[in-house]
Amino acid sequence: MTRLFGASPALVRVDLSIRRGEAVVLRGPNGAGKSTLLRVVATALSSTYGGGSVLGFDLATEREEIRRRCELLTHRTRLYEELTARENLELFVRLLGLPAARVDDALERVALADAAGERVRAFSAGMRQKVAVARALVRDPELLLLDEPTTGLDDAARTVVERLVLDAAAAGHTVMIATHHPVAPELGARVVTMRDGAVEAAG
Amino acid sequence: MLVGQASVIARKDLVIEVRGRHALGTLLPFAATVLIAFGFAFGPGRDVLDRVAPGLLWMAVLFSAVIASRRAYQVETEDGALEGLLLAPIDKAAVFLGKAAAVTLELLALVLAVLVLVVLLFDLSVQDPLLMVAAFVLGVVGLAAVGSLFGVVAESARTREAIFPMLVLPLVAPVLIAGVRATDLAAAGRSSEVLSWLGLLAAFDVVFLSVGVLVFGYLLED
Repeated sequence: MTRLFGASPALVRVDLSIRRGEAVVLRGPNGAGKSTLLRVVATALSSTYGGGSVLGFDLATEREEIRRRCELLTHRTRLYEELTARENLELFVRLLGLPAARVDDALERVALADAAGERVRAFSAGMRQKVAVARALVRDPELLLLDEPTTGLDDAARTVVERLVLDAAAAGHTVMIATHHPVAPELGARVVTMRDGAVEAAG
Repeated sequence: MLVGQASVIARKDLVIEVRGRHALGTLLPFAATVLIAFGFAFGPGRDVLDRVAPGLLWMAVLFSAVIASRRAYQVETEDGALEGLLLAPIDKAAVFLGKAAAVTLELLALVLAVLVLVVLLFDLSVQDPLLMVAAFVLGVVGLAAVGSLFGVVAESARTREAIFPMLVLPLVAPVLIAGVRATDLAAAGRSSEVLSWLGLLAAFDVVFLSVGVLVFGYLLED
């Protein structure tokens, strides 16, 4: 697939296959196309030319099916500042018709149970990212996409994100991570290198 | 499903507005300032103020609707939350309907406060309050529908603060005209003549709510 922003190519004839249950780390310099690729796979963006399938669903025509099974975590946490951590999770639980009990469980797992009733406005970057991780836990997605999820986080918050990734992989879910940081060796991830919008080495 | 998801979105928007005190802290002072400024501009003559009171009222509501609709999308873009709604496997029309419902309720609360102001400042007497309420409910629904639909269009523009009013204000001219006429006639007790204007407002609501439900998902996509 190819993705243009105006006349500038962000992805150039990317041809990549990832098996279900596989963990893949995207490496490459800034501007290599890692984030764009993740956003296209997550259906946040569409490809300009070409296409593909995610979990067996077509990227162009079956976007909602993909969205049902996929979660994209980025440094932007997509939280509402005036809502509490719990309310941010409950919003998606209600919208998606998920069991309400998952909220408490997810908040416990990211060690935010005590701060669940506080507004996100007062949270540090690390705490916000923990809430975003908790939202991913609530959904339990088949495909977990992470775009520089640990940038600017302290060790404790980074550990929470890494735990999410390892648990997802252990549960047989597919994981794609774009990061400059080292990933846990036990993830057994395949490294895909990108440069100038193209896949340079697919591992 | 659609109504349930829309009510979740509307509740979320209202909670955020109440906690942020935006409606009370910004819209009401703004609307009151507009009314008082117009009052000074037209001078103390009661005849003139009586004649223009319905128009002033609707101008205040219209400008407040623009601000409230913009605000409804600002909270979505502060931390990329709108993308979260896009990527959630929900009917995207629910986002439109939820936002329109929340803006409608905010504006109706504002109308109530502004009506009290207008009655006090301009001595507006209302012969048929029920029809006036109907005019405001129908008019505000139309303003909220257009604002919620074009709010997402403006969000993708770099100069969104300028583009949004330019998109919305010409489109809501029928609401302004019909609303002012219906309010004027209801105040004068000419109830039989109000109904045709209410019909126009209702038709406007149906058109823009339908268009919003049908196209909002496409507008939200990349």
